[in-house]
Amino acid sequence: MATTTGSSLDADESGPEQPEARVGLRYTLSQVKRDPTALVGLGIIVFMTLVALVGFVDGVLFDFLGDFDTFANMGVHQYVLAETFWVNPVNDPGNAQILRPPVYLTNQLYPNEAGTWAHPLGTDHRGRDILVRLFYGTRIAITVGIVSTGIALILGTLVGAVAGYYGGWIDDALMRGSETLYAIPFLILVIAFMTAFGQKLTYAMIGVGIATIPTFARLIRSRVLSVREEDFIEAARAAGVRDRDIILRHVVPNSFAPVLVQATLQIGVNILIIAGLSFLGYGAQPPTPSWGQMLSNSRQYMLPNAWFSIWPGIAILITVVGFNLIGDGLRDALDPRINN
Amino acid sequence: MGRLRYTISRLLQAVPVIVGVITITFFLTDAIPGDPVQIMLGPSPSAQQAAAIRAKFGLDRPLYVRYFSYLASVVQLDLGTSIYYQVPVTQKIMERLPVTMYLLLASFTFALVTAVPLGIVSAQRRNEPTDHISRVVALFGVSTPSFWIGLMLIIIFSFWLGWLPSTNIVLPWTGPANVGGASNQLEVIIKSLQHLIMPMITLGTLQMAAFTRIERSSMLEVLGEEYVKLARAYGVSESKIVRKHAFRNAQLPLITLVGLQLTSALGGAVLTETVFSINGMGRLIITAVQNQDYQLIMGTTLVFGLVFVIGVIITDLSYAYVDPRVSFDGSE
Repeated sequence: MATTTGSSLDADESGPEQPEARVGLRYTLSQVKRDPTALVGLGIIVFMTLVALVGFVDGVLFDFLGDFDTFANMGVHQYVLAETFWVNPVNDPGNAQILRPPVYLTNQLYPNEAGTWAHPLGTDHRGRDILVRLFYGTRIAITVGIVSTGIALILGTLVGAVAGYYGGWIDDALMRGSETLYAIPFLILVIAFMTAFGQKLTYAMIGVGIATIPTFARLIRSRVLSVREEDFIEAARAAGVRDRDIILRHVVPNSFAPVLVQATLQIGVNILIIAGLSFLGYGAQPPTPSWGQMLSNSRQYMLPNAWFSIWPGIAILITVVGFNLIGDGLRDALDPRINN
Repeated sequence: MGRLRYTISRLLQAVPVIVGVITITFFLTDAIPGDPVQIMLGPSPSAQQAAAIRAKFGLDRPLYVRYFSYLASVVQLDLGTSIYYQVPVTQKIMERLPVTMYLLLASFTFALVTAVPLGIVSAQRRNEPTDHISRVVALFGVSTPSFWIGLMLIIIFSFWLGWLPSTNIVLPWTGPANVGGASNQLEVIIKSLQHLIMPMITLGTLQMAAFTRIERSSMLEVLGEEYVKLARAYGVSESKIVRKHAFRNAQLPLITLVGLQLTSALGGAVLTETVFSINGMGRLIITAVQNQDYQLIMGTTLVFGLVFVIGVIITDLSYAYVDPRVSFDGSE
C-alpha cells in the first residue's frame, strides 16, 4: 500500500515550503479568529462542552446528594440539576407521559395527547424527558470523542514517530501492523474488541482509539520522514542527544500542526463511530443516556412517532459539524496554499 | 515493470496484511468470554455431548495448534463450519456477500456520480453561492450519522409518502418466481432499484461528502497550476480547461480516497443493513458476534479485510489509467 499511504493526507498538509513566519500556534489562532465559520464551530463546541460539564457536575452531585432508596425503582439515571431547576425527567408512574409528543405538535395524529411545555421535546418510550436525556447525552458524546481521539493520538504518534525515525525493519513491521488494523472496518474491530473484553463505554473508547491509530501513525510518520532530514536533527544527533529525546523533543513537536487538524476532525469522526456503536447496542449501557442509544430506542417507535428519532440525530450532527468547522478552519490557517 | 507483474507484486504485498487480519481476529475471537458449546446446546449440556461438539469443531486442541490449522485451512479456502448455523462458513458468506457488494457498489457509484460534478462546480465557482451550497452539503454529509439518515428516509419516503419499501434488498438477478409481486425479470429489476435507493443514499452520503470535499480542493489546486494559467492566457475557455487540462490530474487524490473510504463504508454497511433489515454481511457479522460463532466471526472479518485490500489494489492500478505519468515501477 506504499503508493497510497498518507497521500490523501499529504494533500492536506502544510508543506515543507511553508514560510517561517506562518507557523506556530499564535499565528494559527489569529488566522482562525478571522474565519467566521471556524468561530461558529468554536461556538458550538464551547456550548456543547459547557453542557457536558454541567452533566458531569451533576453526576458528581448525584454521588453525594442522590438518594438511591427513593429512586431505586425508577430504572432511570437521576438528574439532580434537572430535578431541581428544570423540568421533571422522572418516569411517570401512571404511564400517562409515555411517548408524549413534543410541544410543537398539537394535532391529534399521535396516539397521546398534545405536547406540553413540561416536556418540550416529548418523552420517550419509558416516559423520560427527551430534552433532558439529550442534554445529559452530550457528556457521553464529548467525552468519548475526546478520550478516544486522545488514545489514538498518543499511540499513533508513538508508532508513527518510531517507525519514521528508525526506518528499516521497524518501520516495515509497524506500518504493516497499522495497515492490517486499517483493513478491518473500525466498527467491526471495535465490536469484536468489546465482545472480547466487555461491553462498557470504556472499552468502546479504547477500541475506537486503537482502531484509529493508523490515521495518526501515517500522518506522523510522513511528517517525521521530512523532519528527520533537517539540520537541527542532525545537530542534535551529533551532540549526542538520545534517540528518545530527539523524537520527543524535536521530531514530534515539529509535526504538531497537521496532527492538531487531524485530531480535531477525528473527534467528530469518533463521535459518529461511537454513536453507531451505541445504535447497535455496543456503547453506553442503559440507563446512561447517549444519543446513539436514544436513536436505537426510537427505532421501534418511530412509526408513527417520527419526532422521537429526530432530535438525537440533530444533536450528533451539530456537534460533529462543530468539530469539522474548527478542523477545517485550523487546516486553512495552517495551509498557506489555500490562502490567497 | 509490466502491469501484470505490478499487480502480482501488489497482491503479494497484501498477503502479510491478510495474515495480520486473520491473526488479530483469531486472537480477539479467542478472548471472547463464554462458551460457544453452551450457546449451541443450552445452559446445561451433558459432558459427553459437550465433549463431542468440542472434538467435532476442534475446540479441544491447544490455541496455537488451532491458529496454525486455521491458517492452513484458509489457504485451502476452507473457513470452517459455522457452529450456530451448522453450515460451512463459505456457504453462508456466499449467500450474503452479493447483497453487501451490490449495496456497496451502488453507494460508491451514487457518491462518485454526485460528488465529482459537485466538487468541480464548487471549485469553478469558488466563493459563489453554488460553492457555498455544495460546501454546506458536504459538511453536513460528513457530519451526519449514516444510520440516522436511514431512519429519516424511512420516515419520509416509506411512512409519510409511501413511495419506497423500508426493508430488505432484492438482487436484480433473482428469479421472478422468488420475488413477491413480480412476474418478469424487468419487474424484479425495478423492485430491486426501489429497494436499493434508500440504503444506497444512507451508505453513500458520507462517501459523497468526503469525495466532494477532496474533489473541490484538488480541483482548486490544479486550477492554480502554471499550465492552466497558460491555457487561460491563450484564451482557452474555462469549461474546456476543466475538461481537457485539469480533470484527469485532479482525480488522483480522489482515487486514493475511494480506496481508503472502503473501510469506513464496510463498517457503515453494518449500520445500513441493520436500519433496513437487510440480510447482508454486516448483519451476519453482528449475529455471529451475538451467537459467539467463532468460525463465522473470523470468516466474515477476513472477507471484509479481503474486500478492502482488493479495493485498494484496484484503486492503485487505476492510477495509471488516469495519470500517464505514473508508471508501474514508480519512476517518472
